[in-house]
Amino acid sequence: MKLKSYLKLFKISNKDFSKEIGISNVSLSRYMSGERLPEKKILNKIFKLTDGLVDANDFFLSSSLSRDLSEIHKEEIKKMVSNIREGKLKDLAKAITLVESSLKLHNAQANFLLSKLKQNKNSLRVGITGVPGVGKSTFIETFGMSLIDLGFKVAVLAIDPSSKRTGGSILGDKTRMMKLSVNKNAFIRPSPSQGNLGGVAKKTSESIRCLEEAGFNIIFIETMGVGQAETTVYDMVDIFLVLLLPSGGDELQGIKKGIIEMADIIIINKADGNLKNIAETTMLEYKNAQNMISNIRKDISPEVFLCSSTESIGITKIWNFIKEFEKIRRDNGSFYKTRIQQQSKAIWRNVFLQSQDYIENNLKYKDYVKKIIKNVEKNNFDVNNASKIIFDSIMKRNINFY
Amino acid sequence: MDRKKLYKGWEERASKELRDKNLEDHFWETPEGIKVKPLYTEDDLQKISHEIGVPGLPPYTRGPRATMYTNRPWTIRQYAGFSTAEESNKFYKEGLKNGVMGLSVAFDLATHRGYDSDHPRVVADVGNAGVAIDSIEDMNLLFDGIPLDQMSVSMTMNGAVIPVLASFIASGEEQGCPREKLTGTIQNDILKEFMVRNTFIFPPKPSMRIVADIIEYTSQKMPKFNSISISGYHMQEAGANQVQELAYTLADGKEYIKSALERGLDIDQFAPRLSFFWSIGMNFFMEIAKMRAARYMWSKIVKQFKPKNDRSLALRTHCQTSGVSLMEQDAYNNIVRTTIEAMAAVMGGTQSLHTNSFDEALALPTKFSARIARNTQLIISEETGICNVIDPMAGSYYVESLTSSIVEESQKLIDEIDEVGGMVKAIEMGIPKMRIEESSAKRQARVDSNEETIVGVNKYKPTEKQEINILSIDNEEVRKRQVSRLQNLKNSRDNKNVESFIEKIKNAASSHGNLLEICIEASKNRCTVGEMTSAMESVFGRHNLSTKTISGVYKNTVKNDGKIDIIDNELSKFVSEKGRRPRMLVVKMGQDGHDRGAKLIATAFSDLGFDVDIGPLFQTPEEAAKQAIENDAHVIGVSTLAAGHKTLVPLLMESLKNNEASYIKVICGGVIPPDDYPFLYDLGVSKVFGPGTNIQEAAIEIINLL
Repeated sequence: MKLKSYLKLFKISNKDFSKEIGISNVSLSRYMSGERLPEKKILNKIFKLTDGLVDANDFFLSSSLSRDLSEIHKEEIKKMVSNIREGKLKDLAKAITLVESSLKLHNAQANFLLSKLKQNKNSLRVGITGVPGVGKSTFIETFGMSLIDLGFKVAVLAIDPSSKRTGGSILGDKTRMMKLSVNKNAFIRPSPSQGNLGGVAKKTSESIRCLEEAGFNIIFIETMGVGQAETTVYDMVDIFLVLLLPSGGDELQGIKKGIIEMADIIIINKADGNLKNIAETTMLEYKNAQNMISNIRKDISPEVFLCSSTESIGITKIWNFIKEFEKIRRDNGSFYKTRIQQQSKAIWRNVFLQSQDYIENNLKYKDYVKKIIKNVEKNNFDVNNASKIIFDSIMKRNINFY
Repeated sequence: MDRKKLYKGWEERASKELRDKNLEDHFWETPEGIKVKPLYTEDDLQKISHEIGVPGLPPYTRGPRATMYTNRPWTIRQYAGFSTAEESNKFYKEGLKNGVMGLSVAFDLATHRGYDSDHPRVVADVGNAGVAIDSIEDMNLLFDGIPLDQMSVSMTMNGAVIPVLASFIASGEEQGCPREKLTGTIQNDILKEFMVRNTFIFPPKPSMRIVADIIEYTSQKMPKFNSISISGYHMQEAGANQVQELAYTLADGKEYIKSALERGLDIDQFAPRLSFFWSIGMNFFMEIAKMRAARYMWSKIVKQFKPKNDRSLALRTHCQTSGVSLMEQDAYNNIVRTTIEAMAAVMGGTQSLHTNSFDEALALPTKFSARIARNTQLIISEETGICNVIDPMAGSYYVESLTSSIVEESQKLIDEIDEVGGMVKAIEMGIPKMRIEESSAKRQARVDSNEETIVGVNKYKPTEKQEINILSIDNEEVRKRQVSRLQNLKNSRDNKNVESFIEKIKNAASSHGNLLEICIEASKNRCTVGEMTSAMESVFGRHNLSTKTISGVYKNTVKNDGKIDIIDNELSKFVSEKGRRPRMLVVKMGQDGHDRGAKLIATAFSDLGFDVDIGPLFQTPEEAAKQAIENDAHVIGVSTLAAGHKTLVPLLMESLKNNEASYIKVICGGVIPPDDYPFLYDLGVSKVFGPGTNIQEAAIEIINLL
C-alpha cells in the first residue's frame, strides 16, 4: 500500500508520522511523491510502524500501477450516485453492472461508488430459494404486488444459472412477473450466476446497497436452491424463505438439507387444486420434523406456511409473520447485530474472492509459476515444495489484491 | 425367383455401385426419428400396422369420401388478411370471380385478443395481419353483397371466438340468412394457442368451457357449420415435426370430444362437424403419410367413444402450405416450394387448401402474388389429371410403410399425454410446448450448419438482389378509421340496452348459460367485441403465460464448422473489454403471440454464450424499454412477424431516448419487408435480420456491433 493511502486511511497526519520516524516533514513529502527514495533504516521504520502494510516495493514501483481513479471517473460516479438517489433507473442499472463487472476499472469505480452510499437500516432484505419450477417468481409477483399496494418500493435481484458449458444464460424471470416488472415502484434485475465460484451471487450484497440508495425498501434475492449461492445469500439477508412443492422430502425435491436448516420460513407452494391435500400433509411433516428445522435465530422459531400464488392463499399470513419477525428482532437489536456480523463475513468473502481472482487470472500466468510447474512435471520438485514456494512468493511480494 | 433371392441380388448390386461406402450409410433418419431405407419392397407392405381399406368407409385411411376428387375437387380456400372490412370485401368479390369457392377471414391481432380498436394496448396491432372487427357493423361491411347462405366462410378465430362468431351469426341474420343455413368453419381450437400461437384470452379451464358452448350451440342450431378446426398447422409453423403435429393435434381433438361429452352431448351430434387443419411442408412423402395416418388414427380414437354413425369416424381436413418454408432470400423459389407442398396436400387427400403467396415471408400478398398462389391450385386441379384417381399413393411400399411408422411414433406421444391425464394437464405442465421448441432449435441448428439444404439460403445463393413489389399497410390510417367508426356506433346505439346485455353476459359466464347464444343477441344490440370480451374477462380473468425456455439443444445439434470458434474468440475478447458477456433482451411487442422466433433466438444465443433476457409476451414499447434499462442490456432484439414494427419500433426508440438510454442498441428480426429497412435504419436501428438468417453469422455481427 502506498504510504499516502495508508496515512489517509488511518487518518494520521504527515506531521505526526514524520515526527514518529524522526525525519522532517519535507523529507516525508519527497518520499511520498517519489522524488526521493528512503534509505534502508527509514524503510524499516515505516515497515514496522505500518504493520508491514507499507514496504519497500511501495516506494520502488512506479505510480502508474496505482489503482486510483481519475477525477473524471470520480465525477461521473458522484453524478451517478445523485441520479440514483433521484430514482433514475438507468443509473441504478449501470451501478449494478459496475458492481458485477469483471473489469478492474469497473471494480475500482464500484468501490468508489459504494463508499459514497449510506448505510440503510430501514430496509428489509428477503432471501428466497427453491428448486426450479417451485414458483419463486410467481410468488414474488403476487407478494411483491401486495407489498406495493401497501406503499412499499420493491426490488428483486434474481440469480439465474449460467450454462457451465457455454457460459451463456437465459434470464426469463420477468416473464413470470408481468405486473411487477412494469410497475413504477418495482425494480427487477436478473443476473447470470457465471458459474458457482467467483460468481455474481457474491456481489449481490453490493447490488442491494445500490437498490437501497434508490429508495427500495423491500429487497428480494431469488436463488435456485441447488448450489452454493444460498449460503452466500443467507449471509446478506435479514430473513430467509425456502419454497417447497407439495409432497416429497427435501432430498426428493433436490434441495439440500443445509438449506432447509437456514429457513426462517418454509413455504409449501402451489397448495391449490388437487395438490391441496398433499400440501397439507407436507406442511405437517415439516412442522413435526424439528430436527430439520434447527433454530439458528434464538429469538423466533421458523414457521411453515401453505401458499398458492395463483389463488393468493397464504400471502397475508406470511407477511404478518415477516412483520412480527422483523419487529421482534429490531426491538431486541439482533436485526442490527446480524447485519454487523454479516459485514465482517463480507470482508472475508471479498478477500477470498479477490485472492481467488488473483490466482486464476494473474498468478497462474506468471513466468516463475510456469517454471515451477514445469519442474514439478519433470519430477524436479515435489508438489508440496512447489506450492510452498508459490505461496511464499505471494506473501513476500505483498501483492495488493484489488 | 423368390423375393428373398431377388432382394439379395439388389443388395449385392447396390453395394457394388456404392464401392467403398456402406449401404447402411444410406439409411436416412428423419427429424421425427423414423429410419427410412433406400429401398422398400413388397415385404415392407406385409409389416404395416394400419389398415388401408377403401375411401369413404372406416377407418377412412384413403379418404373421408367414397368419390373424393373424382366427383368434386377440393375447395380452393384462400386466407386473406386485409386490414379493413371494405378492402377484404373487395378481395373476396375478386376471388369469387376467379374460381375461389370459399372465403377465409383473417382477423387482426387486436380482434384476436378481444380488444376494440380504440384500446391503448393495441395501437400497433389494429389492421395488422388481418381485418379489424369491432362490432356487427364491421361484419356487415365485410360480407356486403356476399350471400352467406351460398358461401362457406372459414374464420381463424380462437381467443375472441364467442364475440366474433356471434357477430358473424348476427350479421348473417341481418342480411336475411338464418343461422341454420350458415356454412363454414370456426377455428375455435384454443388448446394449440396455449401450446404455440398464444392468442388466448382466458385461462385454459374457462377457455375449454367456451369451446364446449360453441360445439353445443352449433350442433343444435347450425347443422352445416364446422364447430371447430383442430389445428396442427401452427405447431409445424412453430417448429414441430410431423409426428408431433399429428400426435398433439389428435390429442387436442380427443380433449374436445371429452369436454363436449361432459356437456351431455351425443357423440354423433357433434363429431361429424369436427374438422382438422394441417400444415404441409417440404417433406413430400412424409406429409402424405401424415394425412393418411391421421385419418386412420382419428377413426380409432373416436371409435373409443362408441359412435353409432360412421360419419363420426371420418376426419375431414383443411390444409395450408407451410409458411415457415417460405424464405425471404431468392423469394421466387417460394412459388416452387408452394407447388410441391400443394401437391402433397392433394395426394394426401385434403378437403380444402390454401396456397401461400411467394412474398409472404416479406409481407402480406399483393394482387399479383395472390393470383399465382390461386392458380397453383387451379393448375394442379385442372391441368394434371391428378383428380381422376382416388388416393394414388395407396399401396406404395414406401408411403404405406411411412404411414405405419408415423402411426406408431405418434401413438407414443399420445400415450405420453394420456399418462399425465390429458392435454389440458400436459399443457399446464408445458410438455408439448417444450418438445416443439426442442424440434425447432434442432432444425435451426441443422440449417445453420448446412445439414438441411434450403436453396438460395444456405446453398446456391443468388448473386444479385431481386426487387419484389410488396404490399404495405398504413396501420395508423386503419386505426383512425376503426376508432371513428366505433365512436359513431357508441353514439348511435342504445347504451342502456348495451349495459343490460353486458350484465347478461357476466351472469352467463358465472353460471351455465350458453355464452354464444347470449352474445348473438348482444351483437345485434351493438355490443362491441371488446365489450363482450371484457364482460367475460371480469368473470374468467385474463390468462398469463408462464414462459419456459430450453437450453443446450441448439449447441448439441449444430456442427462446428469454425464459426463457433470464431464466436468463442469474439466473446472472450468482449468479456475482457467490457467486464461481462454481451447481454441481449429479446422482446415481442404488441399482440402478436408467435414466439417461435423469439424463443429460438433466445435459446440459440444463450447456447452460443450470450446472456439473454426475455420479456413477457404482449409488451408495450415502454415496458420493453424499462426492462432493457433495468437489466442493462447491451442490445434489444425485436422479434416481429405481424407488421407491427412500423409503429412499435419508433415508439421503442423514443422511449429509450426519453429515459436517456439511447446507448442501448436495437436490432430487428422476423418478417420485415425490405422496403422498410431504410425506415428502420433511419430511426437508429443498428441491424435488421430477415427470415433465413444464419444465427451464428448474426451472433458474430451483433458482437461486432457492440
